[in-house]
Amino acid sequence: MPIKTLKDALSFRDLPVWERIGFILFIIFCLIFPWITKGGFAQAVMIQFLIFCLYGLGWNLIGGYGGQVALGQAKNVGMSAYTVALLMVRWDIPFWVSTPMGVIVATVESFILGSFLFRLRGHYFAIATIAVSLVWQQLFINWNFVGGARGIELPLKETPNFLYMQFSSPIYYHYFAFLLVMGAIFYMNWFRKSRLGYQLRAITSSEDVSESLGINAHWVKVKAYCITGVFAGMGGAFYTVYYSYIDPFSVMHLELSIMIALMTMIGGAGSMWGPIIGAMILIPLDRYLGAWLGGRGIIGVDFMIYAMMVMIISAYEPKGIWGIIEKARRKS
Amino acid sequence: MALLEVIDLTKDFGGVAANSHISLEIGKGKIIGLIGPNGAGKTTLFNCIVGYHRPDQGTIRFKDKNITGFKPFQTNREGIGRTFQIMSISGDLTVLENVMIGSFCKESDRQIAKKEAFEILNLLELEEDSEAYLTELPVATQKRVGLAMALATKPELLMLDEVASGLNPKETEEMVALLKKIHKAKDLTLFLTEHVMEVVMPISQRIVVLDGGQKIAEGIPQDIANNERVIKAYLGDKYVKGRKN
Repeated sequence: MPIKTLKDALSFRDLPVWERIGFILFIIFCLIFPWITKGGFAQAVMIQFLIFCLYGLGWNLIGGYGGQVALGQAKNVGMSAYTVALLMVRWDIPFWVSTPMGVIVATVESFILGSFLFRLRGHYFAIATIAVSLVWQQLFINWNFVGGARGIELPLKETPNFLYMQFSSPIYYHYFAFLLVMGAIFYMNWFRKSRLGYQLRAITSSEDVSESLGINAHWVKVKAYCITGVFAGMGGAFYTVYYSYIDPFSVMHLELSIMIALMTMIGGAGSMWGPIIGAMILIPLDRYLGAWLGGRGIIGVDFMIYAMMVMIISAYEPKGIWGIIEKARRKS
Repeated sequence: MALLEVIDLTKDFGGVAANSHISLEIGKGKIIGLIGPNGAGKTTLFNCIVGYHRPDQGTIRFKDKNITGFKPFQTNREGIGRTFQIMSISGDLTVLENVMIGSFCKESDRQIAKKEAFEILNLLELEEDSEAYLTELPVATQKRVGLAMALATKPELLMLDEVASGLNPKETEEMVALLKKIHKAKDLTLFLTEHVMEVVMPISQRIVVLDGGQKIAEGIPQDIANNERVIKAYLGDKYVKGRKN
């Protein structure tokens, strides 16, 4: 059974040739990126892109395949980020020990919350996830033990330290983030062919029909929500050691949740490559355009462009950019 | 021993008794029809058995196990399959994938689920459409896909909700032949609610008639066709009086 699972995860044979070529190009691009770019800004944007890929791939499970507009990814990111940061600051626990704990905290939180919130459907569910996110953020802003609004700064070691994931060059972070994203892609590749994947897609289109096919819709949704929590937890843990600083505005913010959801929707929710395409467009656009316009004193125009894109794409094709590609392919 | 027993089932919707004190029994391997005019309570009875509604009173036993108040996915796992009038599962999934979702009910291995799905597609003569998307297919084929999905969960009792609605006479005839075929091939028990008499009369071994939430008759098709109460329920008092004169 494990071998079969591994084979499913690593085999992309059922995909069309050009999709596989695209995937290989993506891998090559990520591998050589640190060597072909000069300057810290490009590399920082690249690492952000990879982090958002991870978030998006995770959100795609519940939001794309599962069709549940969960706008609480940021709190899972935050749970894990805070766990990692606190363990490191207070008890000097290394990254490799604190990360699993952070992921567990994010997953358990998802499980408990999911069990309750999935009694709601549609918009009500979305609103509930927003409400919970806001509550968590307020809690962390006012909670002194976790640094309150000031956040937590990680103590820097004197020398680069693998145990605490502190490196002198961003290249190491780049490759570590890349490995995480590859892991996520392989997981999703397994997932889309798995029983859980099919059941989740069935629920998206009709809960009544899927229940009549022996699917416990509530439980399947909770499971998917937990997996989404795992992805966010991984991302949050990495975020913490990469920036060495977190506060409730960077990892607990509702804006982050919305960004993750929109990014995936623009790229194409419920498709394998959608989140990556979304991140590929939005992250550079957000950072470069923001920096360029900000430098000229025009603040906020990048958000307008960003919002316009969301509106145009969702009006034209609800399945995002990937939906447009698929449509073109079915026609030809 | 009966496969399904409904004992004294009552279901109220805010003071309106959709089903009152209904009892019936379905033996293993039988084909039972459930008929009645609109609003007679057929769908309510159906939904109570598969678990969409919880009955207010009464017991439902399946294979001698009390399944009253079970959820739909639980009754399905016990062995009760059902079809919908419109079996709307995503247009993103192919026919094969739709049927595989049914197979995944009792089988977690993808290869085996796929193999089972293919067998059912073959049985229902759908193999040519296996790669098509549901929305691209005509209604009659969609109905067959719905049947295939329900069959893939390996039910012992298959409940068919208006399986012939929206079909033309030729398609209806084909559907009846298909139902006979799967009844034989899978050793199934069928329970169908139906408006279209051309489906119920030739296929059912027994027919249960509901009217106003109550069971007004039960028997073999010929008797039901001549039963005065049934004719009255369907065609009204005037018709019955007219016939006597």
